Amino acid sequence: MKRYFRELSVLFAFLAILLLLAFRAPEFFQPSQLLSMLCDAVPVLIAACGMTLVIVCRQIDISIGSQFALCSVFAGLTASSGLPMPVVAFVAILCGAAMGAFNGVLVAGLGIPSIVVTLATMVTWREALRWWREGEFVSNLPENFQWFGLSQQVGQITIIGIAILLFLFLAFALKHLSAGRFVYAVGSDKEAARLAGIHPQKVTFAVFVLMGALTGLAALLTAVRFPDVDPKAGQGLELKAIAAAVVGGVAISGGRGYLWGVAAGVLLLSSIAPALVFLHLQPQWEKALQGLIILLAVAADGWRAVRKKD
Amino acid sequence: MTNHSPTDWKAFFLRFETLLIAVLLAEIIIFSRTAENFVTTGNGLEIIRLSVELGLLALVMTPIILTGGIDLSVGSLLGLCAISFGKLWRDAGLPPVLAAILTLLIGAAAGGLNALLITRLKLPPLIVTLGSFSLFRGLAEAITRGVDNFTGFPPSFLFLGQGYFFGVIPAQLPILVVAAIGFWLLVHRTTFGRSFRAIGFSPEGTRYAGIPVDHRVGLVYVLSGVMAALAALIYVARVGQAKADAGTGYELLAITAVVLGGTSIFGGIGTVHGTLLGLAVLAVLKNGLTLSDMPSELAGILTGVLLLSVLAGEALAQSISRRRKQSPPTPTISTSPKPQT
Amino acid sequence: MPTKSHRALNPYPLYCVQSNALNNQRHHIPMKTLLTTFLSLCLVFLFSERSSGADKQLTIAMMPKSKGNAYFISCRKGAEQAAKDLGVKLLWDGPTEPDPARQNEIVETWITRGVDVIAVSVENREGLSTALRKAKEKGIKIITWDADAEPDARDFLINQATPEGIGYTLMDEAAKALGDKGEFAIITSSLTAANQNEWIKYIKQRMEEKYPDIKLAALRPCDDLKDKAFSEATAILNSNPNVKAIMAVCSPAVPGAAEAVKQSGRKDVTVVGLGLPNENKRYVKEGITTGVVLWNTEDLGYLTVYAAKALADGTLKPGATSLAAGRLGELEVKGDNVLLGKPFVFTKENIEKFDF
Repeated sequence: MKRYFRELSVLFAFLAILLLLAFRAPEFFQPSQLLSMLCDAVPVLIAACGMTLVIVCRQIDISIGSQFALCSVFAGLTASSGLPMPVVAFVAILCGAAMGAFNGVLVAGLGIPSIVVTLATMVTWREALRWWREGEFVSNLPENFQWFGLSQQVGQITIIGIAILLFLFLAFALKHLSAGRFVYAVGSDKEAARLAGIHPQKVTFAVFVLMGALTGLAALLTAVRFPDVDPKAGQGLELKAIAAAVVGGVAISGGRGYLWGVAAGVLLLSSIAPALVFLHLQPQWEKALQGLIILLAVAADGWRAVRKKD
Repeated sequence: MTNHSPTDWKAFFLRFETLLIAVLLAEIIIFSRTAENFVTTGNGLEIIRLSVELGLLALVMTPIILTGGIDLSVGSLLGLCAISFGKLWRDAGLPPVLAAILTLLIGAAAGGLNALLITRLKLPPLIVTLGSFSLFRGLAEAITRGVDNFTGFPPSFLFLGQGYFFGVIPAQLPILVVAAIGFWLLVHRTTFGRSFRAIGFSPEGTRYAGIPVDHRVGLVYVLSGVMAALAALIYVARVGQAKADAGTGYELLAITAVVLGGTSIFGGIGTVHGTLLGLAVLAVLKNGLTLSDMPSELAGILTGVLLLSVLAGEALAQSISRRRKQSPPTPTISTSPKPQT
Repeated sequence: MPTKSHRALNPYPLYCVQSNALNNQRHHIPMKTLLTTFLSLCLVFLFSERSSGADKQLTIAMMPKSKGNAYFISCRKGAEQAAKDLGVKLLWDGPTEPDPARQNEIVETWITRGVDVIAVSVENREGLSTALRKAKEKGIKIITWDADAEPDARDFLINQATPEGIGYTLMDEAAKALGDKGEFAIITSSLTAANQNEWIKYIKQRMEEKYPDIKLAALRPCDDLKDKAFSEATAILNSNPNVKAIMAVCSPAVPGAAEAVKQSGRKDVTVVGLGLPNENKRYVKEGITTGVVLWNTEDLGYLTVYAAKALADGTLKPGATSLAAGRLGELEVKGDNVLLGKPFVFTKENIEKFDF
């Protein structure tokens, strides 16, 4: 219990918000509203899972916002050129994985600090996309693009379902597959991991590729919610993902983090905006509240650590 | 930087700053041929004028990164200070000078928040400033309800951002010059500033050496807040309006300038003149491209490419030079206790 | 020199961003790096045009509120057509998303570059006016189109229609959708955009004069962004259940609000607004959007370039009453406003005929 104090308190905070809404604004719980809110949370959840792996590995990736936008646009273009949806999905994920691989080569191969690499790639990809599309949407998408051709409700449930399945798989893999343990090992102590026979560089590279692939998937699942693709999509995703991970208990110094804590973090942070709207409060407080939650969460960690030292 | 005899020409030419100067010269040569009115004093002064705000942020980011930290919140703080200034002037009716002083204090207080969390609670600066990045921007948006825009400032204030001394020298230029000299002296000539690099190498070691690490690190974050506020004032004066989205993305540009200038992101290595060179490279690039009728996005792309090539090149060089040394890699067993999970 | 082992003294990186050691010697810079950067800059050299001294051609610098907006993309088409017809050089640049500070920067750079005319659709009236006045002092002619600056900062305004005409038409469409009574909400671009504010003034005026039973429940900005309009519309629907019509007075907001209405499943809410036919065809067909008001955007761009050239070579002076604008014929000039024409309403019946 004490071990999971952080994750549980985040979950509690989320439930508290739900309780508040149940009393003050029960119309929040309409199925259409809940579905759309969960669909909004899907890309953040998927990205946060990938980001957890990156952070556990003692790296960081702030380029996923730009990756997201590029993957969405490529998915849209693939769809508008008439290729079937499975190909579109493959293209989106592949695109993300390729960009992740590029990051990975520079970080793992050349040893350049990941914050600088991903800063540079973030700016480069974003500006390249802006230059190419000039902000134009990708339209003329076939009928079966939006909601995968299903009805809106079924489509939303599909999106949420895919995200949940992916999450469960990742949580399982991280805990029980040795590949998952390698990530924690490299994040805890690179040298020890190396001596134990793990290749830190390969693990780091793989983590970045996976982050990219997950970003591509998140991009796909968001793009299909609309009839055209917005090249500005995904702005700020990296911060939301890092915030959710940190709030959910992932340590920035590496080696510690539970995915279900991250899920709680995602839920908490995603529920703030709709809660503000339904409680008739100023929706502009969302960013400030999110920042406050991040600071509180991290301060709580720090305070406990400082107290322990005394 | 390491000591080397001035007559060691090879080492001199291979220094990081030399590379930057070469890049800068290349840019100037190329743009002088492709761009309209590029190599004129007017344009040169314009380049400096338009990069004063970023320059102030990059200057204060240098000591922060030297200590091994980072401050992602400066851009958002710029926005918060901008609208604070607007609100103090318009809604509280204060004269611009008083409002400006109060704004600087607000910046200091915000920097102080960062400082407190980083030094007292020993939190990683990346996460603290990520949180304050959200918090400051969020406060700015909440106070202005996302839409409020302060304009109509008196011409005496607008002179700060739009005026010219003797018709030629932009009004904000002296501020940048003073700040640049000030920061250079601080980082390179005072014991206070020189301890930053020591802190970057090893905070514990510096602490054992008797230096008040917490105080100094805290102070530099407060200074960051003040610089953000100053940059906000110049920004508002230049653009003529104060909106909550002021300064978006500036923190990343500042970090780019600093890293491009040769400062290591881990701390311990770096110079203020390097940052100024990095800033010059970026500003000239952006200006030259626009004057060459190239789209502004190209500046961003080339910035990213430049940053990557410089760092990649350096990393390659290091791995080559390491492999050239004959000694086989010795396994180093860390003597540190494992961090508890 | 710091080596890997010194990190062992510091197991808890207190202030470090990360702790991979690898950051040592800085003074070995290979020629490779120099070469790479030099080469990439040379690429720029290859792709940009050489300009030898002053342009012989007239240079018109035109700036939209944002490059990515379909409305402005369509204006650009007309502008480039006119530039080709007249043989003038057209520079088209602007922020990718609405960004007043960026507009200022670009105008300032154009001043340095030295252009003949600057034609801009103004995002922030007061902010940009200072930069425009500076340009005017340097002898550059200034035109605003689509959205105005302060009148003393520019020579002429190219207006697509009278603000009165636009405001009244929009209000009438909304009233039609509401059945002359009920609540509606307005989604505008930004609270500082002069054109939208003018139109809203007339919308409110019309509402008070002609439709006493209609109430304006909410007015929200979407920063001229479709996705923001989508979330604003969703928020409006959620927090104001009595709103039965949404009026979108900037073109990205019309499809944005319509998609929000569609996804909310509310069949009792309709959308009217100022938008492009192509973007809205699908929603008009589905009955979500009942009326789309606009003018010919290509003509607007076309006219702007013609007016710019006329201004530059002296044909268009203060006091003029008409302007010859190529294929548009003679157009009326009222004071310092050049008028394109009257607003047009696209409905289910006629929208198929248009393609822009």
